[in-house]
Formats: sequence, structure tokens, C-alpha cells
Amino acid sequence: MYWLILLAAAWILGFPQASLAQDNAACLGCHEVEGTKISFPDGGLDVTINAKKFATSVHKDFTCTTCHTNHTGYPHPPRTATSRRAYQVLAQQICATCHADQAQIFDLSVHGRGVRMGLGDVPVCASCHTAHAVIRPKSAAFRNNIPEVCGNCHANETIMTRYGLRPVYQAYVEEFHGVTTRLYRLVTPEIRSPAAVCYDCHTAHTVRRVADPLSPVAPGNLLATCRTCHTQAGRFFATAWTEHRIPSLRHSTLVYLVQWFYLILIPGVVGVLAILTVMDLWHWAVTRWGGRA
Amino acid sequence: MGRTSVRRRGGPTVERFSIAQRIEHFVLLLSFNILALTGLPQKYSTTGWAQRLIDVFGGIETTRLIHRTFAVLLMAQGLYHLAAVLASQRRQVRRHDMHLSRQDLRDVIGDMKFMTGRSRERPRFGRFDYRQKFEYWAVVWGTALMAATGLVMWFPTFISQWLPGVVIPAARVAHGGEALLALFAVIIWHFYNAHFRPDIFPMDPAMFTGKVPLERLRHEHPREMDNLEAAGLLPPRESEQADK
Repeated sequence: MYWLILLAAAWILGFPQASLAQDNAACLGCHEVEGTKISFPDGGLDVTINAKKFATSVHKDFTCTTCHTNHTGYPHPPRTATSRRAYQVLAQQICATCHADQAQIFDLSVHGRGVRMGLGDVPVCASCHTAHAVIRPKSAAFRNNIPEVCGNCHANETIMTRYGLRPVYQAYVEEFHGVTTRLYRLVTPEIRSPAAVCYDCHTAHTVRRVADPLSPVAPGNLLATCRTCHTQAGRFFATAWTEHRIPSLRHSTLVYLVQWFYLILIPGVVGVLAILTVMDLWHWAVTRWGGRA
Repeated sequence: MGRTSVRRRGGPTVERFSIAQRIEHFVLLLSFNILALTGLPQKYSTTGWAQRLIDVFGGIETTRLIHRTFAVLLMAQGLYHLAAVLASQRRQVRRHDMHLSRQDLRDVIGDMKFMTGRSRERPRFGRFDYRQKFEYWAVVWGTALMAATGLVMWFPTFISQWLPGVVIPAARVAHGGEALLALFAVIIWHFYNAHFRPDIFPMDPAMFTGKVPLERLRHEHPREMDNLEAAGLLPPRESEQADK
């Protein structure tokens, strides 16, 4: 008997959803048109909604007005934001409505402080999670793509120089963890990479400056952080760390010297072998076709 | 060693490689190829072909599992070889086949003179000429280095109890560099000397049949001929055989 009641309840609860879908359809009437934009003095913001992508997001069952609470009719109420950046920063409050706990800790992170300081490059929620294609952070698709997400800024020399940082993305993708994660993303995207991605060491919403003694990657905490995955890591393990640097004479000297050793050895050996082979072939050719040997 | 037999074509032959040595070579051939096939796409992981190859193997974990399985096989073979060499040292008749000496250096120079037409005579090579010795020692050095650097990468947490951590990324660079060197050496040196040399193309069968015709031995390894003759290990002459 209970299941009949449950079924009825499901039907009743399901009913308003159908009408909410119609509600979304009204918005999509305009917002699905490719290239729908709002303009600000510091650039346009694309407000096109890809309904198919939205249908794959974790928020797919929400109506537009769940988040855009004041956009119940058209024309929309006037915008309070005076710039594109201000609009994006304000949008964080929408996320914070439900994700208050995450918003709170993000606020204390180096990125959160940057947002409050009004720095234009610092990420807001949607910079990493997107606005309308939000997927589960625990999903393989999200995890395996993390280096690319962080790389959006941390591969960019211009942005990094503004904050006295180095671009680290390229060095990461060439490291052990980076190679593995990259191959998971490209070859087996449905499986979560077991290798460390950015947030495993730096954390996500509580990311701090590396120099901050509370950072898990501060020199004093590094080995303990390595041991969260490499539980048996020896005492020198953290010095395996190449600091997201391309090896040079000053940093990871041994790695750099080994690189040079092979840069010289390989052409040297191959050259000698090639010369001897060509000489032998020459001898055969002369014996076969030439008069003189 | 020195057992003789007559093949249907090409006159009398002598045994050049024992069955155990031939199996060793086969294990080496098999593991080298599979290690290269599963290792190179890891070194060049940013290229499209590497990703397709890893996809064929079923992802990076399976690729690494295959790589490590055949690495263990190759290391086991290396250890067996070491034991076999040590055991052969106890034999009464030793010919120091792979020992390097000043003679090998003289042979290289002599051979270069011969190939460029500055000398009429090719140096009289022993059981293994300098080309073969180079290849043998390259395999010894290469296997030892690949095993050492591979194990460092396989057990980084263990290694870092005693050695500075920088040896781990350094091992990775050395492993990749040595792999390339080995691959180039095989493609140029081994393929030429065992496959593409005009007189043996498409391949030198000695490593698979284990036998070499006396006629070839006389031309290519005359000092070995002398040694066999001195030890009384040569098969009866063709004429004598015809008499029988």
C-alpha cells in the first residue's frame, strides 16, 4: 500500500517540475540564441545558455529563477554591477546562498582575499566551476581537468608576473603527477586520476601562498603533505620535488646535468655508429660496383 | 660448445650459440620490444601517437603494468646471465669471448682502414668482433642503468629513505635518455649488423639456429677458427666427409 502513496507523492512532486521546465523554456527563448550578450565598459559578457550542457550539470533540476531570483519577468530589473568584473564578483553571492560554508573558507584563501582587494585576475566561483555547466567536483571529468583549470591563469606569464609568481603549469604537466593525470584525462577520462592534481597539495578553497607557514606546501609541511598519498615516503622524499621548475643549473642541478649528459651522449654514440655503418656500406658498394677497394 | 653438424646447404657448421643463449636472446628481444612499446609513449605522453598507443594498451595503468612485468622479466634474465657468466668462469676451457682488450681498439682502427680502402686485409677477428662486443657491453650497461633508474621510479618512497630526493626526477631523465640511446643503437647498429648488411640480408640466422657455417666463420672470425682448430673442435673437412 505504501508504495502506492509513494508513487502518488512522486507524481504530485514531479508535477510542479514540469511547469518549472516550462519556466526555463521561457528564458531559453532568448538566452539560447547564440551570442546573447550584455555589455559593460570592461567588455561584454556572454549570457548564452547551452541547454544541453545545462542538462548535464548538477543544477539541471533548478529553474533559472532559483539562482536568478529577481529575473522573474522581462524586461529584467536594472543591473547593479557597473563592470563585467563586478558582475562576476556579485554572482558569487548567488552561489553562497546555498554553498555558504565553501564561500566562507574561500573568502579567507589567497584567492578570496584577492577578490576582496578588487584584483581583476583572481578567480571567482564560476572561473573554475563554470556558471551553468557545473559538474561534481569529485567526478573524474572535473578532477582530471584540474591542471587545465588552474592553468588558465597559472600557465600565463603575464598574469603571474603581476603577482610575483612563476607560471607552473608547463612544469607540472611534465612531472610524474602531470603526465599521469594528463593521460587519464585524454585516454581514460571516465576514471579519476590517482596522481596528485593541484588541489591535492594546495587545497582548493583554502589555497594559501606557498610562503604562508599554514600552507600544506610550505617547506615545513611538504613532507607531511607528500605522505598523505605516499604513506611510506622516506625522509628525503620531499627533496624529489622540482618545485614546478624546469630543471636548470640552479634548481634540480642533478636532473639538469643528466639531461645534458644524454644530449651529448646520444648524438655522440649515434654519430660514431652511423659513421661506421656508412663506411661498411661504402666498402660493400665499392666492392660490388667500383673498381677500387 | 664446438659440437658439430652438417646443414643441408652451406657445408659444415659449428655451434655458435647454445640453446640457453638463444633463449636468453629471445627473452631479451621480447622484453626490449615490449618495454620500448610501453615505455616510449610514457616518455612522449604529450603526442597524439603516444595517447593512441596507451589507449590500445587500455590506459596508463595497464601500460605501466605491462612495462613493469617485462622489466622484471628482463632483470631476471640479466641476473641469470650474470650467474651463467660466473659459472662459465669455473670451466677449464675459457676463451674470454666478450673481454675487451687493446686488440679490439686495434681492430676498430684496422677495420676503418679496410673499409676505406687503405688496407687490403680486414683485421682477423676472434669469436666476437668489436661490433658484436660493443653491442654486448651496450646491453649490459643499458640493462643495468635501466633497471637501477626504473627501480628508483618504481619505489621512490623506499629510495628516499637513503638518497636525496633529486635522484628520483634525475632517474626519470636518465631512464628516458638511455631508452632513446638504446633504441637508436638497436636501429642503427643491430639492424645493420644483424639484418641489413648486404651479405646477410634479411637476417643473420646464427642467433636462431645457433649454428654458423665454417665458411662464414673463416671469413668473419678467423682467429676463432684458429682457436677451434687448436682445440681440435673443428668438424672434419668437407673432403673427408665426402670420402665417407
